[in-house]
Amino acid sequence: MVSHSRALADAALGLAAEMVAEDNRPVIAVAAGLDETTFGTDAAAVAEAIAAADSPDGVLVLLDLGSAVLSAELALEFVDPEIAERVVLSSAPLVEGLVAAVVTASTGASLQAVADEAKRGLLGKQDHLGDVPTPSATVATDNEQSVEVLVSNEHGLHARPAARLVALVNSFDASVTLTDLDTGRGPIDAGSLSMVATLNAQQGHRLRVGASGPQADEALDAVRVLAEQAFGDLPAGALPQPVLRGGSGLDVAIGPAIVWDTAIDLSTYQRADAATEASNSETARTAAIAELAQVQRETTARVGAAEAGIFEAQAALLADPAQLREITAAIDRGASAPEAWSQTLDDLAKTVESLDDPYQRERAQDVRSVRDRVLRLLTGTESAEPPADGVLVVRELDAATAAILDAERIAGIAIRATGTTGHGVIVARSRGIPLITGIGDVQVPLGSVVAFDARANSFMVDPDEEAFRTTIRERTAEREQALATADHPAVTTDGRVVPVMANVGSVQDARDARGADGSGLVRTEVLFGDRRTAPTTAEQAEVFRKIAAAFEGKPITIRTWDIGGDKPLPFLPQAAEANPFLGERGLRVFRHRPELLRDQLQAVREVALETPVQVMFPMVTTAEEVAWGIEILDALGPQPAGLKVGIMVEVPAAALRIDSLALGLDFVSIGTNDLTQYTTAADRTNTAVAALADGLDPAVLLLIDHVVRHVPTGVHVAVCGDLASDPSAAALLVGLGVHELSAVGPQIPLVKARIRRISFEYARHTAAEALTQSSAADVRYLLGAVS
Amino acid sequence: MGVDAFANWLRDAANTLHENAAYLTELDSAIGDADHGSNMDRGFTAVVALLDETTFETPDELMKKAGMTLVSKVGGASGPLYGTFFLRLGTALAGVEITPATVGEALKAGVGGILARGKAELNDKTMYDAWAPALDAYDEAVAGGSDLGGALVAAAEAAAKGRDATIPLVARKGRASYLGERSAGHQDPGATSTTLLLESAARTLG
Repeated sequence: MVSHSRALADAALGLAAEMVAEDNRPVIAVAAGLDETTFGTDAAAVAEAIAAADSPDGVLVLLDLGSAVLSAELALEFVDPEIAERVVLSSAPLVEGLVAAVVTASTGASLQAVADEAKRGLLGKQDHLGDVPTPSATVATDNEQSVEVLVSNEHGLHARPAARLVALVNSFDASVTLTDLDTGRGPIDAGSLSMVATLNAQQGHRLRVGASGPQADEALDAVRVLAEQAFGDLPAGALPQPVLRGGSGLDVAIGPAIVWDTAIDLSTYQRADAATEASNSETARTAAIAELAQVQRETTARVGAAEAGIFEAQAALLADPAQLREITAAIDRGASAPEAWSQTLDDLAKTVESLDDPYQRERAQDVRSVRDRVLRLLTGTESAEPPADGVLVVRELDAATAAILDAERIAGIAIRATGTTGHGVIVARSRGIPLITGIGDVQVPLGSVVAFDARANSFMVDPDEEAFRTTIRERTAEREQALATADHPAVTTDGRVVPVMANVGSVQDARDARGADGSGLVRTEVLFGDRRTAPTTAEQAEVFRKIAAAFEGKPITIRTWDIGGDKPLPFLPQAAEANPFLGERGLRVFRHRPELLRDQLQAVREVALETPVQVMFPMVTTAEEVAWGIEILDALGPQPAGLKVGIMVEVPAAALRIDSLALGLDFVSIGTNDLTQYTTAADRTNTAVAALADGLDPAVLLLIDHVVRHVPTGVHVAVCGDLASDPSAAALLVGLGVHELSAVGPQIPLVKARIRRISFEYARHTAAEALTQSSAADVRYLLGAVS
Repeated sequence: MGVDAFANWLRDAANTLHENAAYLTELDSAIGDADHGSNMDRGFTAVVALLDETTFETPDELMKKAGMTLVSKVGGASGPLYGTFFLRLGTALAGVEITPATVGEALKAGVGGILARGKAELNDKTMYDAWAPALDAYDEAVAGGSDLGGALVAAAEAAAKGRDATIPLVARKGRASYLGERSAGHQDPGATSTTLLLESAARTLG
């Protein structure tokens, strides 16, 4: 690299180096400035740099302006003619050209290919700004096989993920093309960083990846896997979507408590001089990367590639130059290697934890997991055998632990921390291990037996073992039976048909929901919760279509953006509120952002032309709010025949005046979680008062009863809260006269099986009695559920 | 004529360029990056340091070494341009007797190097606008029987005319070309330093 300025060259080099792992980087030699601060170029220095960078593969020289060009040409007269022959002086822009060249060279491309790529370095910028007509760069796609992948990266296919893609593609003997199906751009050459940049593929875009050539199959497979891992971008955004596949569905476990304390004793570590500490640090780091690679391989085999991607992300953290600089600096300041790692990663974990997005916050656990791995290696602490034969009690569950557990021998996992989207939880669930989260600081004495029933949200030390074992046996038998008949309708013994729908937050949820009669709740804020910019109408319609397709044309119930409270959306930041659950939530938010609601309703309308769709507004309190939402919808045009309109009932005020609120609507859907917390004035995530926030509280049931009795004639009543996922509570809801239930996927077969066993008459009788009880515990006793 | 005369030329040129450094930079500040004077001064100061440190046996050896010094020390475009000039001049002088004709050939070789490097044409508002008439005048003088000193005087006078003729030109090369029409009305700094070099040669090589 030839430049007038040393500082410019160093900065450009830093920028380019960031794109490629150090061991893949080509040799980069710099001839810039007459010294650190004097601008100028020196042909002799350029000649030396060329000689330093030279190899039989040749040398590409990138230059800034003026004398850089003259000096570089002159330099060719100074170097060995044999070397000069394999030197290419490039007219590429210095910064863009260097980035493109470094990335392309890292793939082992030829000098000519690297030079071509550098020259195209400006294309991405020109294309984006549209100030220069860019040549059509589409390529032929004859004889191609293809796959479709999704760009889940927060910032789209930006520089680093694009670089990974290009490097991967170029490692195969295949020619690979990309077409952005959302914008119609392409096909372009996926082996060219500049061309990938011109695609400007944003988050949520679908790409068609085409390949031809001897290794076309392998290349497509590899690209698909890379795309699933967000093109290697996992550390920041982690998994593209929380993959909450249902576990065994038993949600109940009993066994000796295995209290797993991950705190590592650093007190015995003897600090040496800084050089030794630095070398210890590096040895541990390298070993940790190797361990993670091993865990990743095992997890791929045992669980799946997507889950295994977590470990790649953890390994990436171990190679993060910013963190490594901190660690080196700490050691230079006199810290021991364990202290340096501890401080640096603790700081990072704290930063992650301070983020607004709860999903992001849970990534802190990955950071701590990496920290513990390195500390263990530094202190020589034996890697403990994975625990087995009991119920694991942990502060938080990291992915590595979840992946190495023997799913056959671990009864269940009880996690003190709240949160259900941590990587550990995801891995454990997908492995079918029963688990409960948010048990808090319960004392678990050594040697005690513990049990939990996640469905009843109960965790017990020294429980009634026989009762639990019976529950487990019953649940197992019940589940087997329920799964066998999942696709049969839920009809009571006296002939009342109760549609049981699924609550979904992803297309995968929809595909996984067995036996569902449609979806009673599509959580749009979860579907697009990882988006930094609001999804377009077309993008939303596309996802809704996929969900409808997964339910094979059965109705789906799309809830408009339900944000606020504990559910922020990155593309709609909200001011901090003293009491967010009583603040701008749900529909309230859109009174001043109606355009976002309008776009979503437009998507709903489009899909409703093709398949039955219900739409509902969350968090309404007054008839005026309902009228406002409907006005926005009506303003978009005549209502499609297949579209039904409703509201959520979560606010006691809405339940109490349902007769006027639901006038003219097709349906109402009761959100029992919020209705419970607003009725009992208790936050169920606050362990101090969580027991009060019980959906079976008769006060909540009285409100549901009121809704069913006073709803205008012809308006259907559904329940989509957690209560509908609990088979015995679901039976109670049927008895209260609720027409339709919507449960979490894995519970649907169980809810249906329960309904098939009861008569509507009996359920009504039980429900009437429940309304007269004085507490949730009494109701639960009445239902005969384990509590 | 031996190596000392050439050494004197370089020392004299260094003095002249040092005295005119502010002037050259001022010219460059109007249409370039305001460093021509300081660049040339830095380059020739390094050449003088070279002369102080090293004893040279032949003019060609001295010219080549001076060329390399300029290449490394000037920094701007004039580094590779003047550097190439002295390198080629030196190469052309290797093993030949110093006569008006051989010096003429060497000057031509040096300017050929400038052209190869800078790819300038006449009236691009560059140093070549001084070099081209200078070479013609030199040849004419030699053909007319002039000695080396006379030929160099003629060359320097022609260079000065060429230098003055750059004033109305629009720059088509180098940093000044970014200014387009606005470069007209200013004297080219490169043509100016070339004239200074030739005037110095006329003073010392005669």
